[in-house]
Amino acid sequence: MNDLDFLRLSKPQQFVQKLKRFFLSLPRKLAGALKGLVMRLVGLVRGLGSFLADLGRTYVKGDWKTKVSYTVMGFGSAARGQWLRGLLFFVFQTVFNLYIWFFGRTYLGKLATLGTVETAKKGRVTVYGDNSFLILLYGVLTIFFIAAFIYTWYVNIKQNKLSEMVLKSGRKLKSARDDMASLLDTQFHKTLLALPTLGVTVFTILPIIFMILVAFTNYDNQHQPPGKLFTWVGTANFETLLTSPESDVRFEVTSSTADSAMLTITAKNGDILTVNTADPAAAVEAAALTQNSKTEFTLTQQADGSYQIEVFNEAGESVSFVGKDLQTVKTPSFSYTFRQVLLWTLIWAFFATFLNYFLGMLVAIMINKKGIRFKKLWRTILVMTIAIPQFISLLYVSKMFAADGLVNGMLMNWGWISQPLPFWTDPSWARVTIIAINVWIGIPYLMLIATGILMNIPADLYESARIDGANAFQTYMKITLPYMLFVTGPYLLTSFTSNINNFNVIFLLSQGKPLGLELAGNAGTTDLLITWLYKMTVTDSNYKLAAVMGILVFVVCAVINLVVYNFIPSVKNEEDFQ
Amino acid sequence: MAKKNHIPEVDIVVDEKAGVIREVQPETRLRSKKGHERRVNTTIYVILILMSIVWLCPFVFLVLQSFRGESGGQVAYVIPKQWTLDNYRFLFEGVAFSLKALVKDLPAIILTVITNAAGIAGMVAFLRRKPKNPFEEKSGNLKNALLVFGVLLVINVMRCVDSTNCDFVRWFMNTLTIALFCAVIQTIMVLSVSYTLSRMRFKGRKLIMNVVLVLGMFPGFLTMIVLYYLLKMMGLTQAGAVPGLILISCASSGMSYYISKGFFDTIPKSLDESARIDGATRFHVFLKIIMPMAKPIVIYTILMAFMGPWGDYVFASYVAFGHKASYNVAVGLYRWVNTNDYQGYFTRFCAGGVLVAIPITALFMALQKYYVEGVTGGAVKG
Amino acid sequence: MASVTLEHVKKIYDGGVVAVQDFNLEIRDKEFVVFVGPSGCGKSTTLRMVAGLEDISEGTLKIGDRVVNDVEPKDRDIAMVFQNYALYPHLSVYENMAFSLRLRHMDNEEIFRRVTQAAEILGITQYLGRKPKNLSGGQRQRVAIGRAIVREPQVFLMDEPLSNLDAKLRNQMRAEIILLRKRLDTTFIYVTHDQTEAMTLGDRIVIMKDGFIQQVGTPQEVFDTPKNLFVAGFIGSPQMNFLKARLVRSGNEYSVEVLGLKVALESEKCQKLAEKNVQTMDITLGVRPEHTTVRFSEDANTIKGTIAVNEMMGSELHLHVETADEGRVILRIPTIDLTPEQRAGLAGGNALHFTFASKVMHLFDPETEESLLF
Repeated sequence: MNDLDFLRLSKPQQFVQKLKRFFLSLPRKLAGALKGLVMRLVGLVRGLGSFLADLGRTYVKGDWKTKVSYTVMGFGSAARGQWLRGLLFFVFQTVFNLYIWFFGRTYLGKLATLGTVETAKKGRVTVYGDNSFLILLYGVLTIFFIAAFIYTWYVNIKQNKLSEMVLKSGRKLKSARDDMASLLDTQFHKTLLALPTLGVTVFTILPIIFMILVAFTNYDNQHQPPGKLFTWVGTANFETLLTSPESDVRFEVTSSTADSAMLTITAKNGDILTVNTADPAAAVEAAALTQNSKTEFTLTQQADGSYQIEVFNEAGESVSFVGKDLQTVKTPSFSYTFRQVLLWTLIWAFFATFLNYFLGMLVAIMINKKGIRFKKLWRTILVMTIAIPQFISLLYVSKMFAADGLVNGMLMNWGWISQPLPFWTDPSWARVTIIAINVWIGIPYLMLIATGILMNIPADLYESARIDGANAFQTYMKITLPYMLFVTGPYLLTSFTSNINNFNVIFLLSQGKPLGLELAGNAGTTDLLITWLYKMTVTDSNYKLAAVMGILVFVVCAVINLVVYNFIPSVKNEEDFQ
Repeated sequence: MAKKNHIPEVDIVVDEKAGVIREVQPETRLRSKKGHERRVNTTIYVILILMSIVWLCPFVFLVLQSFRGESGGQVAYVIPKQWTLDNYRFLFEGVAFSLKALVKDLPAIILTVITNAAGIAGMVAFLRRKPKNPFEEKSGNLKNALLVFGVLLVINVMRCVDSTNCDFVRWFMNTLTIALFCAVIQTIMVLSVSYTLSRMRFKGRKLIMNVVLVLGMFPGFLTMIVLYYLLKMMGLTQAGAVPGLILISCASSGMSYYISKGFFDTIPKSLDESARIDGATRFHVFLKIIMPMAKPIVIYTILMAFMGPWGDYVFASYVAFGHKASYNVAVGLYRWVNTNDYQGYFTRFCAGGVLVAIPITALFMALQKYYVEGVTGGAVKG
Repeated sequence: MASVTLEHVKKIYDGGVVAVQDFNLEIRDKEFVVFVGPSGCGKSTTLRMVAGLEDISEGTLKIGDRVVNDVEPKDRDIAMVFQNYALYPHLSVYENMAFSLRLRHMDNEEIFRRVTQAAEILGITQYLGRKPKNLSGGQRQRVAIGRAIVREPQVFLMDEPLSNLDAKLRNQMRAEIILLRKRLDTTFIYVTHDQTEAMTLGDRIVIMKDGFIQQVGTPQEVFDTPKNLFVAGFIGSPQMNFLKARLVRSGNEYSVEVLGLKVALESEKCQKLAEKNVQTMDITLGVRPEHTTVRFSEDANTIKGTIAVNEMMGSELHLHVETADEGRVILRIPTIDLTPEQRAGLAGGNALHFTFASKVMHLFDPETEESLLF
């Protein structure tokens, strides 16, 4: 179908056609992406190969100064008169060697186990053993250092090669003075980026890699250095958070008398039940059975409300007895909690982004309408919520809506309600309140952005629309909205991801409360992944799960970004609208 | 086309004069339009007034509560029954003014010397500024000199407030210190990175941008514990929380280069090229060409960097944990309002909030123009 | 004052796109050379390589006797005027012009002398205190040029300096550049896409297409003896007419058959063709519109056509004539010699007879598009 045929179709037909095209192109796109990935990998391997080959060739063909530089970094540079470069290379090599010898290698060696010697108390003296935290931290640091060293070493070799070429062609090498001068000119980017790069490496990249590694350990409040060791546990933490627990069926007799016993039953899905039985012997037998073999059990409710409980294993052995007062003590699983929190996070991000977006735009349109006066006043009033630090405004508003707060108090005084409205105590109320208050915080921001963009929509677009006979609503749908969406497409994307990570609003308003009984890890019903992560770090010291959660937040954001970038054209081609 | 007599509800930019529509008889159309227009505008005014009330109420309440004399937590009325300044008085209890604070220890002396020397040098430079060429009228800029003098005076006076006795003043000063340092250091970092990524082409540029993009998708508090340990190793927690917080918030600030890069991208490349042909090194280009043109974005960056620390609760509370003297206002006031022991502090929280909000809001309002430029530019560029 | 030599200069961009191919040119000291060609032909890239704003992928670039491949722009002693002027918006006109001198730590008095002198030459003395945003397009252009001349550079580079101006101002500035060039007496390299500018300004013109040099020569040379179809079509306005024709050889005599007309070539052309041993073949014949003549009476040596469009340009008429089998031919007729009756006869729709002489014919090989006479 060519473009002309497409244009002849009606709107719904066009839509169907577009969908068809999209899905037809999907395999090709995926194949393309895969191919790109493979090509990259091949390129990487090839690059590595040619890199090694180049190193070898340089060694064979190089003069003796170059050859010495393979072991004594900077020798070649110094010998050819570039003493400053030579000195720097040499100093770096020396520092590196000293670091590895006196410091790095100890930690590197222990990285595989994260320490074996536990801190112990000998009488009154505490003898400190290995500190897993420091081993991991310095281990990562050492690896960073080694990578940096390999790179520098390579640069040192390349320098030699280039210098040889330059000298052969009869030109002069750069002097130390030239080098210094170039830092303000051709190499100015190095000067400017040096400090930020150092800062980001030490305070962002290193910690993130550390935390990614922590996700594969059992670092939590039970394994907290320096008192305790922690160690590698593989993907166990990811399983805890992502897969439903699959536990063995367990019967345990918690208390028993001659004619009754209390049993705790762990079901396959991790639920915990308690039950009373008048048959202690059968209970003990059942408990023994579950301990010794892989068992399952069935519950059948009787007419009188008691349960027929039958336990059986693969070998065909079975025990059955009658139980009363069955109670379910639901064990909140992390995976369930994670799904709930993730769901709320996405709902929140959706509303926080789009509700604010459309309301903000609406307000901007109202304020900027011709004939509306005091534009600046309205704007200034709204902007107050941006200007005043959030911890003041949000904290105060949060208090206003508390059970004993101003809103409830006044409503009760006026006799409109007799009970305080459960703004922060009922999950649904809390969620709606948070989204509403976020509108209060967010509208002004969007209003400013929308104002800026509305001013930029060419007036002749509107004029031609009016001459074509469009009414105000049609102009809005056909011109204003598409233009806004197009121009702010990328903004919406970043805004969505930053709302996923919007810590302040939740934390200052509700702290994630109200807590949900069915939620694990202290999670509340208004907790976002990020606030839950914070609680895990600060309150529970459950660093391993916090780390996993961090990685999952990253994955969520990355997936959203990738999808949007690949399938929404306006994000990619910003110039299209004009 | 049949023209519906539909009445537009919202109507924004379109000029009335331009909108004469052929199908409708102009006279009736115009008349009905006028009445309709008035109704629409009235509705909008009503909405805007209601919104303004909603927007302003919490702040008005906050201020009113800060003058409340009745003790206790929240109350169910807005206007205090008993007006008092006690809440404010409490904030400043035990505050002393002492010039000694300027020279109490070595860091203080160094800070005093540096700020004053720089300030005086700046003033002199402004006052003695000679026109560089005979075609410039202006020489000596008294306004700028006075501005520098004012800033210098404020800094000195504030540093003289001996705040050891009073939590609130101490917190305020802590936050101010952090904010000032952040404003300077973060701005330098952000401008360096954004300038480099926008104007210079070098190997690894794309890589850097991608790495920053990926790093940015990790939640900020993930690495809190590592950062805490890193700071602890340097002795920058608890008692050293203020420099520690400065370090942390400045170290990675280069990553938020996006908005200012967007601004630099709009400056024509040929200016750089022209300057380079004129004999400028890239450093000169940065300093003499791009920076003077980038004033709006520089102010925006400074404003953002300065305002950030005033709301920073999470990391500040973690780093200063248990050491009251190192709190910033957010941590301190949060404790006042949220910890049960402090139930009586609700009105004091309000008073403290007002005192923090006033200068910040004033600053923001004064520089609003630059903020708007920054956010719209940033949003449009993505 | 210096020569500029480009030897086998090549520009390949990162993506593998080749912008400039094997560029060889020696620009003499004090010469005014114009690079001209359609957009994307590599002319600006070449200029920017001379300026040092683009790296040279291959080849050697010399200014004077110095190889400057790796020399930073600031050390090449060149000045450049940009298409969008590239004035520093935060500096006054005076400071814009003084910028490069201040970077060289020149004495204040000397700066003043040079800036005011340049300003006087360009007639912008009264604007020296203003900021660029308060200037008109033409004034900004002057400031940009002024900023270049205060430098007293060895080589003066101009990258489409007039294309942002309106037509009237452009003509005026063009004349001023000619005067300026006389005054400054230095080496100029000027880039433009406008062939009129190229013809009027250049001592020599370098015509480029797709990264290749098509022809280098004085304006007269490239006009009279275009080396190929592209140059023939590019230089001259309205464009040269291209007709299918046949070149017939008989001994050492040649003639051209076109539109039923048979024209014997003059001896000079025949000699050249014979030297190259050109045989009877189909050719593309090029005739410039201004080299045609209208005949008001039919005879054996004329071609018949119908006037499709008549464009009155004032001093001349542009006639778009439909011929029997060759599509449209454009004729350019001076109006001054026409009687009112003749003029009336040239209205659209009328029949007409025209002809052209053998000496205005350009012969091209339709395969290679090269001129047969070169």
